[in-house]
Amino acid sequence: MSLSEERTGLPDPFWRALARKDVLAGLLFIVVAVLGLWISRDYPIGTALRMGTGYVPRLLCWLLLGLGAIVLVQGLRGAQGARSLSAGDVSALRPVVFVTASLVIFGVSIERLGLIVSILLLIGVGAVAARGLRPIETLAAALVLIVLSWGIFILGLGLTIPVWPEW
Amino acid sequence: MEFIHNLAVGFGVALTPANLFFALAGALIGTLIGVLPGIGPIATIAMLLPLTFHLEPTSGLIMLAGIFYGAQYGGSTTAILVNLPGETSSVVTCIDGHQMARQGRAGAALAVAALGSFFAGCVSTALIATFAPPLAKVGQSFGAPEYFSLMVLGLIAAVVLAHGSVIKAVAMIVLGLLIGLVGTDGNTGGTRFTFGITELTDGIDIATLAIGVFGIGEIITNLAQPQETRGLAAKKISRLWPTREDFRRAWPAVLRGTALGSVLGVLPGGGATLSAFAAYALEKRTSRHPAEFGHGAVEGVAGPESANNAGAQTSFIPMLTLGIPGNAVMALMIGALTIHGIQPGPQIMSERPGMFWGMIASMWIGNLMLVIINLPLIGMWVQLLKLPYRFLYLAILLFCGIGVYTVSNSAAAVLLAAFFGVLGYVFTRLECEPAPMILGFVLGPLMEENLRRAMRISSGDPAIFIERPISLGLLIVALGLCVLVTLPAIRSKREEAFQD
Repeated sequence: MSLSEERTGLPDPFWRALARKDVLAGLLFIVVAVLGLWISRDYPIGTALRMGTGYVPRLLCWLLLGLGAIVLVQGLRGAQGARSLSAGDVSALRPVVFVTASLVIFGVSIERLGLIVSILLLIGVGAVAARGLRPIETLAAALVLIVLSWGIFILGLGLTIPVWPEW
Repeated sequence: MEFIHNLAVGFGVALTPANLFFALAGALIGTLIGVLPGIGPIATIAMLLPLTFHLEPTSGLIMLAGIFYGAQYGGSTTAILVNLPGETSSVVTCIDGHQMARQGRAGAALAVAALGSFFAGCVSTALIATFAPPLAKVGQSFGAPEYFSLMVLGLIAAVVLAHGSVIKAVAMIVLGLLIGLVGTDGNTGGTRFTFGITELTDGIDIATLAIGVFGIGEIITNLAQPQETRGLAAKKISRLWPTREDFRRAWPAVLRGTALGSVLGVLPGGGATLSAFAAYALEKRTSRHPAEFGHGAVEGVAGPESANNAGAQTSFIPMLTLGIPGNAVMALMIGALTIHGIQPGPQIMSERPGMFWGMIASMWIGNLMLVIINLPLIGMWVQLLKLPYRFLYLAILLFCGIGVYTVSNSAAAVLLAAFFGVLGYVFTRLECEPAPMILGFVLGPLMEENLRRAMRISSGDPAIFIERPISLGLLIVALGLCVLVTLPAIRSKREEAFQD
């Protein structure tokens, strides 16, 4: 399809085939299945009567492998009307990186730095994920959210989350 | 007599001040997120799942249920006034509801939607109260092989009735089943797929997975799309009450929508969205003025809006009576039950009648509250639409973070949720629906347990599943659905139903 070709800007037929959504999805399922089979290689399988730890996981991994292969073949065969990843899908790296980073920082900091500091960090990093947020707006949002979460989680529900940093 | 006694028990539970408060809280939150595009009931319920841990199980369920049907009311407001579906289940309401608003009949459209929803809510609450007890009795007679086959049928049907590729959806179910296996195997004590991480030996919490995939994944998906501009169709809603003509045309559509939605809601994979789409198609086909559809036909609002509320509520029936979730929201409800150590299944009704009937009674009370919340207070909700997404997502992000942290008080859960968030985004981009994954995740441990029990009954012979008549019947229906969906004629019909 010329339209998707333009959008992805991938001239090579190999990469163009790979950019198809079904091809990528099929490969993803296959990778997970193979990884699962490899990890569970030492799990005792047992018999149908006395199932071991590995019986159901391996059964499901083989099933996923088969389904992934069907999705992959469908993706490769269905040249007409196959939906490819567009340039917009790839340029979404900014929200992926900053949303993930803000949560990781929040998770790591909440126990040591307390609720208030970690909210400031989460909002500060998370705000970069969207375009068009002014610094003053971010600060205002952070203040409102700090008051709100303190009210709901500490005051209302009485959760034992540290509020201030531990010195 | 028993029916009245049960309802009396239910209202006794639902009318306590605490439960009234949580029904109102659920209805308000549901309306709020229904009005706001960019956050849906699945993500909200996932975020609030950890909170219910600190509540009475009954209060928690009442609130979560309120969010689900409250979102059906709120979603129509945005659809009618802004031509943006606040929820996927109100996509079709945009078509005629927004046209009505442009013709200055916004108030009538909103009133028809809210009153239709209320009527549907009352009928479906009565349906749940009537049909749940006999269905639970059937469920109690099931053994392990029947349960296993029932779960297989539930999962297959959920996939067939959902839109998108069936094979991808089945693969997502299997992936969910695999994620459900992470942790310690209760039967043998061996650990599975823990990657040597101690935090994973207890398994992955449903709140962590759901907040990641639906909450965080949705944020990334929304931010990756160009910002939409919202224009209100009606600056002021002058006249709220529909005309006599509107009433005359709307009420048969409300009846049809309620009936259709109630039936489709019970089916696995059904629920609010499918019901709304089907009801719109039905109205358009049976109408004497089909040309008016798309130009502000009141039936095009009344039918789907009644249907989505009816479908949302009757989808509780299989969850409450059999422990089988028909859609992602019901899977999260089962998660809320298991957080409190309550085993979902037919025994809930006999073991915890207060909780069961209290929840049903609260649905009726919640629907009454919603009419009041939505009609006179409509101006307040419209104001909320001015809140840009760039503020909204910061709040969602924060509540996701705190929510996950409070599940297990561990930083590892937050990191895991962030990972699932990226995974959820990738799946959305690859057009793999994440909802079947949650169904698989919830049913995974139950299916393995019942498979093991069935094998012990039959001394390891898999033929037990086809030797027992009920189990065989369930499997034949599942197989039939698989065959049906591969037929080209059905396939094109199925795609049409979701595009119409």
